[in-house]
Amino acid sequence: MFDVHGRASRIGLQLLATLMILPFLAPLVFGVQGSLGGLGLGNYAKVFNTGIVPTVFTNSAIVSVCTIAIVYACTMLAAFGFSKLRILGREVWFWALLAALTVPEAVILTPLFVVASNFDLYDELLAVILPLAALQVPFTVLVARNFFDGIPNEIMEAARVDGANDAQVFWSVVLPLTLPITAVIIVFTLISSWNSYLLPMLMLTDQSKQVVTLLPSFFTSQYTNDQTGVLAAAVITAVPEVLVYLAFQKYFERGLAAGALK
Amino acid sequence: MSTAPAHETLGRPVSATGRPKGRSSPLGARLRGVPWVLPAIVLVIGLIYFPIGYLGYASTLDWNGFILSTPTSIGDANYAKMFGDPVFWNALWHTVLFYLITFSVQTFIGFTFAGVMHSRIRLANAYKTIVFIPVVLAPATMAPVFRQVFDQFGQFNWLLSNIGLGSLTRPWLADPTTAMPVVMFITVWEWTGLTFILYYAAMSQLNPEILEAARVDGASSFRVLRSIVWPMCKGTTAALAVLGLIGALKTFDIPYLVTHGGPNHATEFLGTYIYYVMAQQKHFGYAATLAIALLVLAVAGGVLLRTSTSRSEKG
Repeated sequence: MFDVHGRASRIGLQLLATLMILPFLAPLVFGVQGSLGGLGLGNYAKVFNTGIVPTVFTNSAIVSVCTIAIVYACTMLAAFGFSKLRILGREVWFWALLAALTVPEAVILTPLFVVASNFDLYDELLAVILPLAALQVPFTVLVARNFFDGIPNEIMEAARVDGANDAQVFWSVVLPLTLPITAVIIVFTLISSWNSYLLPMLMLTDQSKQVVTLLPSFFTSQYTNDQTGVLAAAVITAVPEVLVYLAFQKYFERGLAAGALK
Repeated sequence: MSTAPAHETLGRPVSATGRPKGRSSPLGARLRGVPWVLPAIVLVIGLIYFPIGYLGYASTLDWNGFILSTPTSIGDANYAKMFGDPVFWNALWHTVLFYLITFSVQTFIGFTFAGVMHSRIRLANAYKTIVFIPVVLAPATMAPVFRQVFDQFGQFNWLLSNIGLGSLTRPWLADPTTAMPVVMFITVWEWTGLTFILYYAAMSQLNPEILEAARVDGASSFRVLRSIVWPMCKGTTAALAVLGLIGALKTFDIPYLVTHGGPNHATEFLGTYIYYVMAQQKHFGYAATLAIALLVLAVAGGVLLRTSTSRSEKG
């Protein structure tokens, strides 16, 4: 956009870009730096020695994989139904889903808390997975239906003439075409479930059931205000996220951008 | 995508054996898609609509949330309490202020950075990655880092003293006047990467010939960016404005983890206040009432989203 010719203006622009990213870089550097204060790498040893690190990563993986599976299945089936099949009062149902698009977690907090405390659903990963999936589905169905609407009906007609039923058309004709939207759904659901804090904090009190976002606060309560330990715990949970993002950078950026605009 | 698209039928319904079904079961044909959409609908009704219905009931109660204690029905007293509750109004005001400021700052930085990144810059990929990493990281992961950075003895005060602004140092999170700006800063840090990516993508779609023509006419880079690029990215800005509004209503993790809504409710949002009333004060009825208020605002935001996207699709 900036038309730079002279050497001076090119250096000036580079300087501007560098100045702009510094505030974004600094907290990451400060976090790592802080986690090495005092005992240095010993802080990391301290976190790993609690033995809870593999537990929280396993639980987070279970939560994310299950949430993605539920969201993906519900979304694909619903998007196909809404887009390609006849449903009595279709738009009414669709709007009923869409109305839940903007409901914040905090709205369903009180009812979930009452149900969980009275029916002893505490410390069940499912008590986190199902609400997370329900909060995600309206959005993914909206995005997926837009995508399905773009798939021409003629492709499916051909299969129908050959005698395929709805399920066969869905499975062998439509589903193979949905790879781009699958990436969007997975990226969005992965980020929202892996990063979720409020629902796990509310529902998962037992140590053996906690997830990665609870690891730093676990450390605050375990060793009162052990700042270096908390920061080491934060870095340990951040590193895999950054690595996964770097490995799938294109999908993350495109997926989040495509989703945000729908 | 606002009205029913015209793909009512996929030809005549044909059964698995290949025999035409004919018109014997019109209702069956019209319900053909129902099983497909049912799982999603059941999930949303069971975990969103049902809890919301329950909220409506709970908001008329004076109850501590335990099934053994008897709730007392108090009619609309919780609503009356809410409208007279200064913390509720403060939380609303914080949300508005938070939205206006974070949205403006993110838009300014994200748009400018997208313009800069579309010029010839070395290490452009590394720069883009650094700005986008915060979007991927969990707020809960970064909260302890920011608690340290803005601590009395944190890096921010260290930085200030080293550039000769030592007089400005203070415990940023413990001071009611600076706690909110810190919460806003963290939010901007977290989400500007997404704003940037969206503007960056929008700018890639622009016709280079228009920009070239403007330059030939002698327009400066800033002039091109402000008078040509910015208006052409209008759709992106509108989408981000609505996303930001909904995001502001959903705000919880950062104020809860960094400042606990304090000091003295200075960074209280509706989400954190609901949690506080529910978990600390054990006033379930009142928490439900606040949740209803949040719901009304969120649905209003959603309606805004629908109207703005359908308008941008038309125009």
